[in-house]
Amino acid sequence: MEDYKFLFKVVLVGNAGVGKTCLVRRFTQGLFPPGQGATIGVDFMIKTVEVDGEKVKLQIWDTAGQERFRSITQSYYRSAHALILVYDISCQPTFDCLPDWLREIEEYANNKVLRILVGNKTDREDREIPRHIGEDFAQRHGMYFLETSAKEAENVERLFMEIAVELMEQAKCKELPKYDGSLGPINGKTTSVGDSSCCLRS
Amino acid sequence: MVPLRKILHRACFIISRTVYMTCCCGCCSALRPRYKRLVDNIFPASPQDGLVKSNMEKLTFYSLSSPEKLDRIGEYLFQKASRDIYRRRHGFVIIAMEAMDQLLVACHSQTLNLFVESFLKMVQKLLESTDPQLQILATQSFVRFANIEEDTPSYHRRYDFFVSKFSAMCHSNHIDKSTGDKIRLAGIQGLQGVIRKTVSDDLVENIWEAQHMDKIVPSLLYNMQSAEKYETVSCMDSAVGAEAPARLAEACLRELVGRASFGHIRSVLRPVLTHFDRHELWIPNEFAVHTFKIIMFSVQAQYSYSVVEALMQHLDGAGPGAGDARARTRLRAARATVLSNIVAIAAGDSVGPSVLEIINNLLTNLRASVARDSEKESDEKLYQEALINALGEFADHLPDFQKIDIMMFIVNKVPSAPRGKGTRADSMLQSILLKSLLKVGTTYRTAELSKAFPAAFLEALLRVGSGAEPAARALLQRILHTLLDRRANAPRLTRPTLEYAELGLTVEKCSRQDLIFISKHGYALFGSLYDGLQLESNTMENIEAIYTTVALICIELGSEETVGDMLQLVLAIQQSGISNPVLSVAQQCQLQGVAISLAVLVPHVCTVPRLAEYLNKIIEARREEAPHMLPPLMESYDDLTSSKLPAKLPYLMMDQMALCECVKASGLDTARLAAPSPYSAGSVAAPHRHSWLEAGAAQGRDSLADITAGPPTELDSANSSPGVTRAACGSESAHLEAWRRAAGGPSEAERRDLQRRRATLNSAFRTAPFDHLKHITAPKYEIQDKLEEIFNSITEEPLLPMSGSCSPAGQKSYQQNVPPYTKYFPELFLY
Repeated sequence: MEDYKFLFKVVLVGNAGVGKTCLVRRFTQGLFPPGQGATIGVDFMIKTVEVDGEKVKLQIWDTAGQERFRSITQSYYRSAHALILVYDISCQPTFDCLPDWLREIEEYANNKVLRILVGNKTDREDREIPRHIGEDFAQRHGMYFLETSAKEAENVERLFMEIAVELMEQAKCKELPKYDGSLGPINGKTTSVGDSSCCLRS
Repeated sequence: MVPLRKILHRACFIISRTVYMTCCCGCCSALRPRYKRLVDNIFPASPQDGLVKSNMEKLTFYSLSSPEKLDRIGEYLFQKASRDIYRRRHGFVIIAMEAMDQLLVACHSQTLNLFVESFLKMVQKLLESTDPQLQILATQSFVRFANIEEDTPSYHRRYDFFVSKFSAMCHSNHIDKSTGDKIRLAGIQGLQGVIRKTVSDDLVENIWEAQHMDKIVPSLLYNMQSAEKYETVSCMDSAVGAEAPARLAEACLRELVGRASFGHIRSVLRPVLTHFDRHELWIPNEFAVHTFKIIMFSVQAQYSYSVVEALMQHLDGAGPGAGDARARTRLRAARATVLSNIVAIAAGDSVGPSVLEIINNLLTNLRASVARDSEKESDEKLYQEALINALGEFADHLPDFQKIDIMMFIVNKVPSAPRGKGTRADSMLQSILLKSLLKVGTTYRTAELSKAFPAAFLEALLRVGSGAEPAARALLQRILHTLLDRRANAPRLTRPTLEYAELGLTVEKCSRQDLIFISKHGYALFGSLYDGLQLESNTMENIEAIYTTVALICIELGSEETVGDMLQLVLAIQQSGISNPVLSVAQQCQLQGVAISLAVLVPHVCTVPRLAEYLNKIIEARREEAPHMLPPLMESYDDLTSSKLPAKLPYLMMDQMALCECVKASGLDTARLAAPSPYSAGSVAAPHRHSWLEAGAAQGRDSLADITAGPPTELDSANSSPGVTRAACGSESAHLEAWRRAAGGPSEAERRDLQRRRATLNSAFRTAPFDHLKHITAPKYEIQDKLEEIFNSITEEPLLPMSGSCSPAGQKSYQQNVPPYTKYFPELFLY
């Protein structure tokens, strides 16, 4: 018997240095690795969480942000159930690249994939992207939105938990088989409303 | 009764309870299923002790004797291991894995199917852990599994996860370098396993799908590019080189490419090309060359051209910094260099249409490049060079008969705009294509001239040569050099000289086939070369190049039969150097130099002692009075007084009659030499000449048809044309009288003679054997050519009385004066 009921693949994307690996490490291992080197190619982590008393296994594929690995990272989008698009709130260019990322997701990922926009590094003093800018952007593009800090462990757990919840709801209403790579259509998906604290549950 | 009942009840309770207790404690294991007990027993008390061997044997024996239990054994082992992983008791996990491996190997394939499910779940579980040791262990087990041949396909089995995970492992950057290397190695081995497992069976997962290839190929390449140096070998020994990730990745790539069928080659190549773009590995292209060579070496031979094709299509593809035009050009050049490096490997196995496909593609790219090349970029030049090199490399490895095909193909692509009218792009394309042609030509080793120059090819070459820029014409001559030069004399003949003895030329007797070739095409060739010398746009390079060509022809085809033709050409060149009004003084002097050097070459090739003596006299005389009329050629002859112009020194010229005498003294036939020159001076006559050249060439091709239908009709047509008939009726004598008589009309006797000849000819063609007919018809065209030529010169002579065939030197010197209209055609009836 498998020890989990659902398996979801979550892929993190975003520019180099926005903290994707740190988010994953914080969530899976509960630590913040200072001086984390750049990811090469793709990294893989697993974490089993419990939602409504049922075990959900999250396969987390942490991709390299560097341009040169783009071709291999793109190949991981296709089978993803959820895509976490990360930017650095203290770094304008990482936010400016979001449209490019969306285009790439549009091209390579399943069009029904769950997309979450994450502004990371809220612990930083030098914020360049106000929260509402990120929210607006997410709303315009039909994404969920959350601001996190991997360093302070802020919203990290919640990010992944809510992804698990959302995906499980989808899976339940679609009766998706556990190992199915193709995700069914997501019904009633709405963007975050004004209250960002419960954006994932809209 | 009541207490008794009570006692009984109590006793029963105690008994039952005792039984229950013992069951729970003591005989618990006895009541568990046998397979579980056997599995439990293989685990030692302490993980350090390792697998309990004897119990493992029992388990193996059990599963062999009751294979239906195998799936449950697998399931149970997996559960135990999952628990141990969770509790981080890695020692037991390793033992469980080992047990599974042994079972897998021991059991027969038909019973494995369900067991494999748990086995793979186990492997996946281990791969999901963060411990490198477990990941590596899992990979090893997976590889072992991959090497087992299953005879029942499993449609539902998915390798998605394994491909993803192994690819991720290939990119490991573990803090500890050696651990990182081990993980990478494991990743590559895993990928190799997946490939082996899936590639042969169409029913399981299709490994060639983009989603897999996009992971596998970049992972392999990423490991290959990390090697310190790239050594490309055509075939890898698979036993060695498993120690470094780079080597193993290379071996894996070879295996992958080697297994790819035609439809799948593209699936491998696309990610390769993308990877090179992404990682900017085209410039410098060392690694790209290395990789593509590996691909070429390992791809199944019959598909190798599709690799070339894919790369060719990618030449223009976008890459990093695609916005910048210069960067794009550099990128293209780098890719073309890679192409030129691998194309030779493909050539050996290419056949038929694929060859022309590749050539055509290269030419298309060249043309596109020429169209772009408006701002004279050096990078664009590099690109073109690389493409031309690729063309040369490719052609070099083709058999010779295909090279001729390719040359024909290229020459037909050359735009032939009339002289001076083509656009700049046209002339550029022309020179590029000629360069390509030269490149291909250099790889061709001429054995027989008639094979190297099929009629259509020669014709096309000469046509191009007549209407091109000076630089392109020089290129064309170089093409002729490389095709003509069978004995490596060309480098010694780059400049006109008089001292041939010192050059150490290799001269051999020319073969019969070559003689036939030159008698068929000699006039076309000589005519074109002669015309080439008459252009005012000629540079010294052009003139020297033509000199080399003629000299090579002279050496390659040197024989008694051709002496006359050669000397006649020499005389015509000499004459044009005096009388052609468009030529500059320098060009006139250069032509004199060329003429005398070519004349000197003739006695060097054939034994004509008197000719050598005569020429030596002229050379001596020129040395004293007019050294500017001797080689070496110079760019300019500035300090020349007008009295020293070649036209003013007729007594220093070679004389036709004198040459005739010399040749005759050696017992050679002088008929051709004594005949009036078929070369007309100046470019005025050029279009005219071409009409008959082409006609002659065209006739040369369909000779078979001519044998039956041609000769009688031709004879008739010649007869019906009065001018030609009269000329043809000229008898052997060379007197003015005879000519006048002939002009008046053929005599009765001659007419009868003609009739008779016609009848004989007709009957000959009806009765003679084929070979004989072939023999007599071959030169027949020459007669007609000649007739037309004479016809031409007759009509032109009133306009240009001093040009053409007459020998002006004779007018003022010791030789008898021969008026220009006194023509004698003894050779016309030789056939």
